[in-house]
Amino acid sequence: MRASINRPPTPDVDEEKRDEPTLQDIINIKLIESGEKENLKELLRERLIECGWRDELKAQCRALMRKRGRSNTTVDELVRNITPKGRAMVPDDIKAELLQRIQSFLMSVAL
Amino acid sequence: MTSLRKRSVGDEYKPCQHLLNYKARHGVRGFHILQKCLRIRPPGRVSIKRDEKEVQRCASCGRARGRLYACLLCATIGCWVPPDMMHARSHALSRPGHDLVVDVDRAELFCCICNDQVYDPDFDRAVICAQSAALYSAGSIVKEEGVNGFTGVSLRTDREKCLIDMDQYMLDGSKKSEKRRKTRRVEYRPWVPSPEEQVVLRHRSTPLVEDGSLPSGLRGLNNLGSTCFMNSVLQALLHTPPLRNYFLSDRHNRTLCQHRASHICLGCEMDAVFSAAFSGDRTPYSPAQFLYSWWRHASNLAGYEQQDAHEFFISTVNGIHANSGTTSPRAKHSQSSSAGDMDCRCIIHRVFSGLLRSDVTCIICGFTSTTFDPCVDISLDLEPNIGSDKSFTDSNLANIESGRELKGASGSAFPGASTLLGCLDRFTRPEKLGVKEKFFCKNCQLPQESIKQMSIRKLPLVLCFHIKRFEHSSMRNASRKIDRYVQFPFSLDMASYLSSSIVRLRHGNRLLLIENEGYEQQVPSSEFELFAVITHSGKLDAGHYITFLRLGGQWYKCDDAWITSVSDEVVRASQGYMLFYVQKTLCYKASEFSTGRENYCWIEQNGNHFNPGFLSNPLLENGVSA
Ligand SMILES: [Zn+2]
Ligand SMILES: [Zn+2]
Ligand SMILES: [Zn+2]
Ligand SMILES: [Zn+2]
Ligand SMILES: [Zn+2]
Ligand SMILES: [Zn+2]
Repeated sequence: MRASINRPPTPDVDEEKRDEPTLQDIINIKLIESGEKENLKELLRERLIECGWRDELKAQCRALMRKRGRSNTTVDELVRNITPKGRAMVPDDIKAELLQRIQSFLMSVAL
Repeated sequence: MTSLRKRSVGDEYKPCQHLLNYKARHGVRGFHILQKCLRIRPPGRVSIKRDEKEVQRCASCGRARGRLYACLLCATIGCWVPPDMMHARSHALSRPGHDLVVDVDRAELFCCICNDQVYDPDFDRAVICAQSAALYSAGSIVKEEGVNGFTGVSLRTDREKCLIDMDQYMLDGSKKSEKRRKTRRVEYRPWVPSPEEQVVLRHRSTPLVEDGSLPSGLRGLNNLGSTCFMNSVLQALLHTPPLRNYFLSDRHNRTLCQHRASHICLGCEMDAVFSAAFSGDRTPYSPAQFLYSWWRHASNLAGYEQQDAHEFFISTVNGIHANSGTTSPRAKHSQSSSAGDMDCRCIIHRVFSGLLRSDVTCIICGFTSTTFDPCVDISLDLEPNIGSDKSFTDSNLANIESGRELKGASGSAFPGASTLLGCLDRFTRPEKLGVKEKFFCKNCQLPQESIKQMSIRKLPLVLCFHIKRFEHSSMRNASRKIDRYVQFPFSLDMASYLSSSIVRLRHGNRLLLIENEGYEQQVPSSEFELFAVITHSGKLDAGHYITFLRLGGQWYKCDDAWITSVSDEVVRASQGYMLFYVQKTLCYKASEFSTGRENYCWIEQNGNHFNPGFLSNPLLENGVSA
């Protein structure tokens, strides 16, 4: 009954019906397959550290933990609470740079 | 090492019931199977993939969005996009026992029932082991033997001896933790002398003679016959802000010194040089007495090579340390070997002493041995043949390192040039310890191949870098000098070289390797500012040392007896041999002042402002404990 973890990836199709992949999904998968997603992630990470975003977010997490008490805060709660703030805090120029990179990637794939 | 775990965060952590159940039923077998599915991504991050090209998708909805988790029991991948796309959780809820999943992107454990990250030392060790083995087989991180069999001349031959074993360090750490908690930062309060204090100041102090053209303390030093190696270091020490404040507030002098009668004291000699430099007299000074005393002191040191400014620096700070009256018994024993004892409260160690961390990981079992190595400076290897070396790009390591390279390149005006940051990246990158240097793994009870990772555990107040320009080949019994330009920044943020950043970057959140929060928070500031550069020009044996000093925002060139002001560009273009950086915000801890008058604690901004009132202010006599 217990399958090994390294069995081949059989998409075990659940009873749930699958949605048609959206354009966003397709782009996402292209990015992963080409390895470009890794590069983008690394770039984004670098930029967010440079501009102080990470430190600010860390401080917010600490503050939240202090407020709720360490033992009754889960990672999931933390992520749910902080994500909207984190998204809002990303500077526009970083978003623009990333968008630019994604666009040029799509151009190169389309050609 | 069991004691490593004693102090890591992991020990305070309690696993959830689901994890306990899982381990009781299945043991660690699943972790070992999982180990084979781990892929190492730049810069050392781990993810779960059976092969490089695989795109992981949620088994239920087919998407690759949000967080993806793989079930620890059956490897089914589920998504986690709150609030409504939670197929990983549905999987756990519908199949009893399938509670634990692994984050596909970072190889960390998660419990779907608790909605929380969980930690397990065996799991962490499996991941660390996979990472180290991958790094090891990446090939190009074999320790470079230098070109033509040359290796960097290292003063640290005794370094291995002064390695503090983690056990000992932790023992001391736990003893001291109580004390440490009491030390706290004190707010800066400018000192405004009271009427009584003003009277004392007026009668007991000699005002500095300011001639208006040069900052105080700037005085040429005569060359006494190839003594520029000494002059260059003395100039840097004279203008090391916390050292200057110490000597100018009369903390060590012939009258106070207990060592004076018995033997030579470099502390007293240094005090004399300070007095001469800050006397207001601008005619070049001859540090003959210092040279004589240093020579007598250094003649005890076996194998001492003269005329190297760095070795002069090391022996001088050792000499001042030896006569400064230390409080730690261990520090007293280590006068000759270790110039960087963390416990020593002498002025040298309070100013220059930092702590290096070295993690050596067995690639067979993932066991990591951590040691701490005190230091008064950091010796950096030059990057070998930048630009011509293709081996950098043709292996996995290039990918692993690319995250760092990005940064190194951005700090450089022209690509391919050596930079201080590049040297630091090199210093802190994982290094393969091969067959010759097999590390004895305490877990396997065998010598094993391993990966070594250096990082900086504690930054000193003043950070001194020594760029290894002089190489020695024992094979050819010859030395040579590398004349390569190394770019260095005027301000430097050391945050990414700290153990806390390096270990997390390399391994992710592995509680096994992460030290307690309390220790991490000890780092007051990672931002540094350059204040002195010692340069070497010319050949190995017929060269010349000069020092650039930054005082009051202006750079000065100290070339023996001659002092001239120079532009920033001249300094930037110089061939740095030793670089001195000071913390941007100098923080003195309350506990370091025994007066009980905390308002005498001062925090210095930029290190360049100095209140001449300290010169002979009797109120400060007990201020800084020596
Ligand atoms: Zn899904
Ligand atoms: Zn499952
Ligand atoms: Zn649980
Ligand atoms: Zn003395
Ligand atoms: Zn000392
Ligand atoms: Zn081992």
